[in-house]
Parts: sequence; C-alpha cells; structure tokens
Amino acid sequence: MTRMIDIYSILPVMIVAGWALLLLVVDLWIPRHRKGITALLAAIGLAIALGFVLASSGNTILGFNQMVVLDGFSSFMQVLFLVSGMVAVALAYDYIQRMNINHGEFYVLMMFSIAGMMLMSQAYNLLMVFLALELLSIPLYVLTGFARTRLESEEASLKYFLLGAFASGFVLYGTALIFSATGQLDFVGIAAVVTAGSANSVLFLIGAALLLVGFGFKIAAVPFQMWTPDVYQGAPTPVTAFMSVAVKAAGFAALMRVFLVLFPSLSEHLTPILWVMAALTMIVGNIVALAQNNIKRMLAYSAIAHAGYILMAFVAFGNGEVVGNTVAATLFYLVAYGLTSFGAWALVIVIEREYGKGILLDDLAGIGKHYPWLGVAMLVFMLSFAGVPLTMGFWGKFYLFRTAVQAGYIGLAIIGLLTSVASAYYYLRVVVYMFMKPGEPKLQINPWVSLVIGVAALAVLLLSLIPWTILELASRAVLLLQ
Amino acid sequence: MEFGINPLVLMTFFPLVGVLVLVFLAPQQKNAMRWTALGTSLVTFAISLWVLFLFDPNKADNLLVQIPWFRLAGVPIQILMGVDGLSILMVLLTTFLTPIAILSTWKAVEEQVKGFMIFFLLLEVGMLGVFLALDLVLFYIFWEFTLIPMYFLIGVWGGKNRIYAAVKFFLFTMAGSVLMLLAILYLGLQAGSFSQPELVANRSLFAGSQLLLFLAFAIAFAIKVPVFPLHTWLPDAHVEAPTAGSVILAGVLLKMGAYGFLRFNLPLFPQASVQAAPVMAVLAIIGILYGGAVAFAQKDIKKLVAYSSVAHLGFVMLGIFALNPEGLSGGILQMVNHGISTGALFLLVGMIYERRHTREMSEYGGLWKAMPIFGGISLVVVLSSMGLPGLNGFVGEFTILLGAFGSKVLGSPWFAGIATLGVILAAAYLLKMFEKTFLGPITKEENKSLKDLNLREIITMVPLLVLIFWLGIYPQPFFNLINPAVEQLVQLVQSAALVLH
Amino acid sequence: MIPLSWYLILAAVLFSVGMFGAISRKNAVAVLISIELMLNAVNINILAFWHYHSQSLGYTEINGLVFAAVVIIAAAAEVAIGLAIIIAVYRLRKTVVASDINVLKG
Repeated sequence: MTRMIDIYSILPVMIVAGWALLLLVVDLWIPRHRKGITALLAAIGLAIALGFVLASSGNTILGFNQMVVLDGFSSFMQVLFLVSGMVAVALAYDYIQRMNINHGEFYVLMMFSIAGMMLMSQAYNLLMVFLALELLSIPLYVLTGFARTRLESEEASLKYFLLGAFASGFVLYGTALIFSATGQLDFVGIAAVVTAGSANSVLFLIGAALLLVGFGFKIAAVPFQMWTPDVYQGAPTPVTAFMSVAVKAAGFAALMRVFLVLFPSLSEHLTPILWVMAALTMIVGNIVALAQNNIKRMLAYSAIAHAGYILMAFVAFGNGEVVGNTVAATLFYLVAYGLTSFGAWALVIVIEREYGKGILLDDLAGIGKHYPWLGVAMLVFMLSFAGVPLTMGFWGKFYLFRTAVQAGYIGLAIIGLLTSVASAYYYLRVVVYMFMKPGEPKLQINPWVSLVIGVAALAVLLLSLIPWTILELASRAVLLLQ
Repeated sequence: MEFGINPLVLMTFFPLVGVLVLVFLAPQQKNAMRWTALGTSLVTFAISLWVLFLFDPNKADNLLVQIPWFRLAGVPIQILMGVDGLSILMVLLTTFLTPIAILSTWKAVEEQVKGFMIFFLLLEVGMLGVFLALDLVLFYIFWEFTLIPMYFLIGVWGGKNRIYAAVKFFLFTMAGSVLMLLAILYLGLQAGSFSQPELVANRSLFAGSQLLLFLAFAIAFAIKVPVFPLHTWLPDAHVEAPTAGSVILAGVLLKMGAYGFLRFNLPLFPQASVQAAPVMAVLAIIGILYGGAVAFAQKDIKKLVAYSSVAHLGFVMLGIFALNPEGLSGGILQMVNHGISTGALFLLVGMIYERRHTREMSEYGGLWKAMPIFGGISLVVVLSSMGLPGLNGFVGEFTILLGAFGSKVLGSPWFAGIATLGVILAAAYLLKMFEKTFLGPITKEENKSLKDLNLREIITMVPLLVLIFWLGIYPQPFFNLINPAVEQLVQLVQSAALVLH
Repeated sequence: MIPLSWYLILAAVLFSVGMFGAISRKNAVAVLISIELMLNAVNINILAFWHYHSQSLGYTEINGLVFAAVVIIAAAAEVAIGLAIIIAVYRLRKTVVASDINVLKG
C-alpha cells in the first residue's frame, strides 16, 4: 500500500527523474543551435528539486516499507548533488558547444545520474543501493563517452564501463552473500538479524568485504583507483568535474550508510583493511600526482588522494563515540572539496582550447600576469586543496585529522599530514607555472564558467572565516542508525 | 576599552586597508602604490607605538582580545590575542622593519609593484598575528599564512634560482608545521581548549606525552629558526629573495621560530624543555660554529650574511635553552639585535647590488674611497653584527653567554666557553668581508664611478643606526619591557625542573 | 535433494571464473561476457538461497525473486550500454582489443 508519506519521502528524486524524462521529449523540439534552452530547463528542474529537498529537510521518514529513508544525512547529500548538478550544467553549457558535442541528451543523462545519486543517499535496502548505483553509473558511462568522435573519450568510456560493471558485480555478490547470511535485504531486517546473533558470520563478513571492494571502485580508493586517471582525462571536462565531486560524494554516501548501519559489529575485521586502504590511497594518490604534467591527470590523482583523507576519518566507523564526528567531518569535507574541485576544473575548462588540448602545466604560464584575478582564484583552489589556512580545505582537513586523532589513529594522521606536504609540491607547481613563468595564455572565457570560478573562490575564502555555517549543517545532518 | 576597537586588532589588520587601496590602483601608478604601502606600514608602526604606550610589562594579558569564533566538535576556537613581554619587542620589530624594507624597494622593484606591495602588507598581517595569537589554532593559521606572501616574494621577485628557493622554503616550513598541527589537535582533544593560557594552566592533562608534543612543536619551530641541521632552506631563500624579502625574512620570520619556543614549548611542556635543553644547546652551538665556519668560506656577500644568521640564531637558541632569566632575556634582545643588524646588512648588500649587479666580494675592494658614507654606515653595522662593546650585538651576546655560563639546566660552563669561539669566528668573517670590499685601493674600473648613497637610502639606514647605538649604550628600557615576563616563565620552568629532580 | 552449499559453491566458482575472465581477457566483448557471468553467478546464489530460505520458513518471501529480476534487468541495461560503447570505439579504432586502445597515458 503506497501512502502519501512514501511519495513525500522520495519526492525530489521523482521530480528529477520525471523532469529528465520530460526533458528528453521536449528536447526533440529544441533546435541544435539553441540547446541552451535545454540547459536552462535542466537547471530549473534541479532547482525545483532543490526547493523540495530544502522544504522536506529536518524530517526523518522511513518510506516504502523501509526501502528508503529520508533523514538529515540524505537531505544534506541531496543538496550537494543538486548543486553539483547545476554547477556542472553551467560548466557544460559553453564547453559542449565549443567541442561541438551539444546534444540535449547531455543534460538529460546528467539529471538521471543525479537522480541515482539522490536515491543512493536515501537507500535503506541493499536492493535499492544496487539500483541507485546502476542508475547513477549507466548515464555516466554514456556521458564519459559523449564526445563520440574523440577516441580519448570513447576509450575512457570503455574503461569506465568495464571497471564499473566489474565493480557492480562485486556489490551484487556482496549483497547476495549478505542476503544468504541474514535472509534479509532491508537494513532494518539485517540489523535485527545481526543483533539477534543469528547471521552466518563468515558469509556476512565476506559480503561486507565485497561491498567494500565495490564502493572502493566508486570512490576511487587504492587499490581500486586504476580507472580514475584515464577516465578523468578522457571524459569531457565538465563531466570529469561532476564525477570528481558528485560521484565521489555518492560513493561515500553509500559507504557510510551501509557501513554505519549494517557493519559496526564487523569493525574489528574491517578497520585494519580500511586503515591500509586509507593509507595507500593517500600515499599513492599524492605521490603519483607529483609526476603528472597533464592537469587533468594531476587533478585525478589529487581526487584519489582526497578520497584517502576522507577514508582516514572513516576508519573508525565502528567506534560509537567518534562516528558522529566522522559523518560531520566527511560532509564538511565534501563541501569544501566540492567547492575547490569545481573551481579548479572550471579553470581547466577555461584553458582547454580543443578537446584534450592545452591542459598541460606549460599552458598555465603567464596567467598570473595576464589574468590576475583568474590566477588568484586558482591560487585559492590550490591552497585549499593543499590544506593551507584561510581556505575551506584547511578546516576540512583540520576536522578530518581531528577525527582520526580522536579515534586514536595517530599513525594514519601522520601519514596523511606528511602526504599533504607532498601534495603541496604539485599544487605549488601549478602556482609556479601561473605566476612565475612567462607566457601568453589563450583562454576561452565564458561568463558562466567565470561565475563558477568566482563564486567558488569567494566561497572557499569567505566560508573559511565563518566555517561554523557549514559545520552546523554538517553536524545536524545526522544519519539514521538503528 | 573606550576606543571601541582593540588596538591589537587594529594594528594587526590595518595593513589590509593598504591592500584594499592597492587593489584599486591602476598598474602604471607605481609611485602611488609605493606611497600607499609605505604610508600604511608607517601608520601600523604608529599604532604599535600606541600599543607600547598602553603596555604594562607586569601584566601577562595586556590588551587581551577574546572573541569566540566557533566550536569544532565542542572545543572552542577563539580569536584570542594579547601582548606581553615576550612578544612586545617582536611586534615593534615587525612594524619597524616593514616600512624600512618597503622604502628599500623604491628603485629595486619595478616589475609588478602592485603585487609586491600587496604581498608585503599581507606578510605584515601574518607576522603580527603570529606574535599576538594566544589561541593555538589561530596561531597556526597566521603561521601558515605567512608562508604564502613570502613564497611569492621569493618566487616572483627573486633571483635566478628563485623558484627552487621559494618551493623549498614553502615545503620545509610546511613539513615542520604539519606535525605541530597534529600536536595542536591532540592538545585540543586532551584539554578541551586551544587557548594557550588555559592549556598552560591545565598542562597536567597532557603531561604524560609531553616529550613527543615538545618534539612536534620543536621541529616546526626549529626549521623556522633555523636550528642546525634543518637550516638548508635558509641560504637558498636568502640569496634568491629580493632585498626587502631578505630583510623581513632575517629580521622577523626567523624570530617566529624562536618566539614559538618561548611562547609554546617552554610554558606548555616545561619538564620536556628541561630534559631537551642540553640537546638543544648542543645543536645551537653546532649552529654557531657551523654557521660561522661556512660564512667564512663564502665569496658571495649575501650568502655570508645568510650563514651569519644561522650563527646568530644559534646564540638565541642557546640563550633560550639556558632556561634562566639572563639567557632568556638575552635571547629575546638578541632576536631584536639580529633583526636590526642583519636587516641592515641585507639592506647594504642590496644597495651595492643595485649599483653593480653582483655580490661577489672579489668584484669590489676599496669602496670606502668611492662611497665614504656607505663605507661608514657599513662599518658600524658590521661592528654591531660582530658584537663590539658599545653597540647592540654585544649586549645580547654577552647576556646570553652569561646565562649559558651560569645555567643550572645545562650544568656546564663549557657551553658558554665553546659558544665564545663563535664570537671570534664572527669577527673573523665579518672583518674579512669588510676588508675585501671596502679597504685597500680600488681595483676595478667600474667601482670608481659608483655613486654614494642618496637621501632615500640614508633615511632608510638612519633609524637602524640609531637603534644600534641606543641598544648598545642604554639597553635598560628594553630589558625592563621583557624582564617581568621572562621571570615568570623561568619560575614556571624551574618549578617543573624541581619536580623532575 | 541437492544441499544449499553446492549451489553456493557453484555460484562462487562461476563468479571466480567470470572475475578471472574479466581480468585476463583483452577483447572488450569477452570482458563483457565475463562480467555477465559474474552477474549470473550472483543470481544462482540469490535464487538458491531464496528457495531454501523460503522452505525453512514454511512460506514464500518475495524479496529474493524480486532481487533476481532486478539483477537481470540491470544486467540487460548494462549490456546495452556496453555494446554501444564498444561499437563506438570500434568505429574510431577498428579494434575492440583493450590493450590496443591506449591513447590515455600518464
């Protein structure tokens, strides 16, 4: 029996998905040279959904026979996804025209993917987790290969698809084993069986480990990161920007929801694995990034490294005293990282002359002199990535490291801090090229992209003076536990 | 506070007014930019004099500002700033050297003047914040913030190897400070506060791990000072930095490290300080001798001055870790002395470099004949730097040696004895440098036509010369400012030492 | 009657075979087939367990069946997209061998 409250609990997801379906049809009547209208309509759809998310936030509802949940955590995440989507639309509008790939489906696919992410943050049933994962991934495979005439794009798409499908297999098998161990798929049921002690502990543990592998691919944690640099490099840059922020956030949403609700009892076994994963992710991401000359690849490795920092705070997922801080720190960091990341990727869009061309470090030379404001904005993003004070990135890292120290993982915190010094080196290289090398940069400046850069830079700076605004939202976004 | 705004806050953030004006100036208005920066820094200096006027050496929390900022996971982070005997001289040194450094760039910086002045003023904000912050997180923010402008000053306006030097400077300091950040986080978790006075009062809460915490803070500060063997970034940074950058780097930034020891390491971890004192003193002495020996071997004048900094800061560290009133107050005074003398030396090197575009000693010789005013000023500065009685350097070094000689913590007069060799070494390399550049006949044709200092350059030097004589002849007012705070600190540390023995 | 563990072992073996194929094969179509094998292994696992679970409960729960149906549908969607991508690559490069498609390098 479907009740109104069920519909209410996933209304924003339905709006996004429904709007995307309508837009797919409407787009047929929009001529090719006026695809800006599609972009605008997509943004409006996302904005309406955002309004509903904000209106329904603050409630905690279990809907559809406990298939989905609406809680502070999901509302926070959904705001993040929807805003990311709008930013991605703003970034894509000019880009896909310039690269001659302006088909209306671009925005539609993006909306479907966002619907998947939103569902992911609300999933309260392993079947829903799988469905949401597929819904968010499949449109992204297509978006990655959206530049159909470019081999880079197709290759990235193929790699992303094969590894993504491979990872889905792990998620599925993990789900199946958990189903075998407990006979249940919904979180409430599984948690009840686990608490009663009647679950098959071996199958349950293997299932949890396989889920970790599957989510590890999505958040690009080492050793499941190998697709990231190629995919980030080959995909159209706005898609890359969207992936590096929203997909990563969705992966963490799933990881946190599933692990915090279902697996605290397994923390004894999983924490050492997570410890090693976090350490490797921070080390590999940051060290390999040192050697990159292509900015897209460098930012890809940097994105891997940042997942490592979040994982570092996540290692203590079984520690009830710390978990509140883990969630809040992660949400806060995702905001800080998202702002910074979109800014940095927007700059890549500005310097990308042709598809995949003009995005080497050399191409940055002279920006500081000829476009001082742009240079300063990029400086802000790089410092924020590196975690230098008076940026949001600093507070984000501060909170994550504090959580790790609170949980007693000081060794991990030291690894994280030392690797972030290494990361300062490659972030500074960007600054060196922009400000300290002479050159005549050729930029493709578009008002929408500039707006994104400006707003992101200001937000990274100004919010760092009043970090409590985001901090309070993040700490109020509690995750419904059992 | 009847003025409505706390003078400390006003002083710290006043340079931002200048930054704001500079942003709106057109790129070709170079002189307007210079005057704006100079005017701003002079006003800041005036405010710092006002602070000095309001300052009471016997109070620990002069002009305290306490504004809650926000709470992170329940622990408050505050805007907590105050000035006491440990910091007042550092603050004055900062506000005093900044306008002088800006004045020295009048002709030297022609490229991107706007950026240069903006970064310079931002640097001043950062430095003042470091000396005034009493909340550990706030301190860390200012501490790291100073890196960015200095990184740009070296990297954009520096010499040939500027990028290498700038990146090295940034990474060294950051590598040190991340461990400090970890220690700060740990302190905040253990004691539930980031405020330095509160932590000092509750230091028993983290007494168990204080040796490790001491180490984490010490590495950050030791890199900045720099203590041997962490000094390798310093010569690079100094040689490549523009003159004004070198002046501020030597004059103020290095003092941030030594000040950090005074403000955080000693009061927060007194037992660990007592335990570590002999090691730190040995490192300090190695620094004195090594810096002196390497300085002696230099052919480049700026490198010589840079290595002399390593030696001079060794004295400061020796004084601090003598852990008695003489040593500490001598150390603080020596920080000021070094800021003035070495700052002056860098200015002089810069002036001659502007004329001849070389810093090799062999390119000069007999300059006294061509530039008598320059020679005279240089002589005074060189003598002050080597510690001639009657000039400022002597007072600091002598007090430090006195402290080290009588130090119970170090327990041996040998520390002072060996350090004395450093004084002799300083005399040797400084006099060699002076002899090679100024005395004898003019050997190079180009040097004959060199113009002597102009009015602006003389105005730049005069305030420094006045202080060199003042501190050398009548240092008592300065000691009066710092002594009460130093005595309190020593009492705190010595009571800890009693617990230890 | 065949015990449950046989099904679970069969599923595990099939999954491993699929995983091995996905890792070792170079032809993109073969990799896709291997991945499908993995998904089908999961289905065997689910259905076998669902069957035995329902028997032991004495009534039929629907969750396992729905799960299997969803997996089949999702797998079909994945194949559709996957083949489309492979064809797009083939048009540009005239090959579907993964190791020959390597314009992206660090």
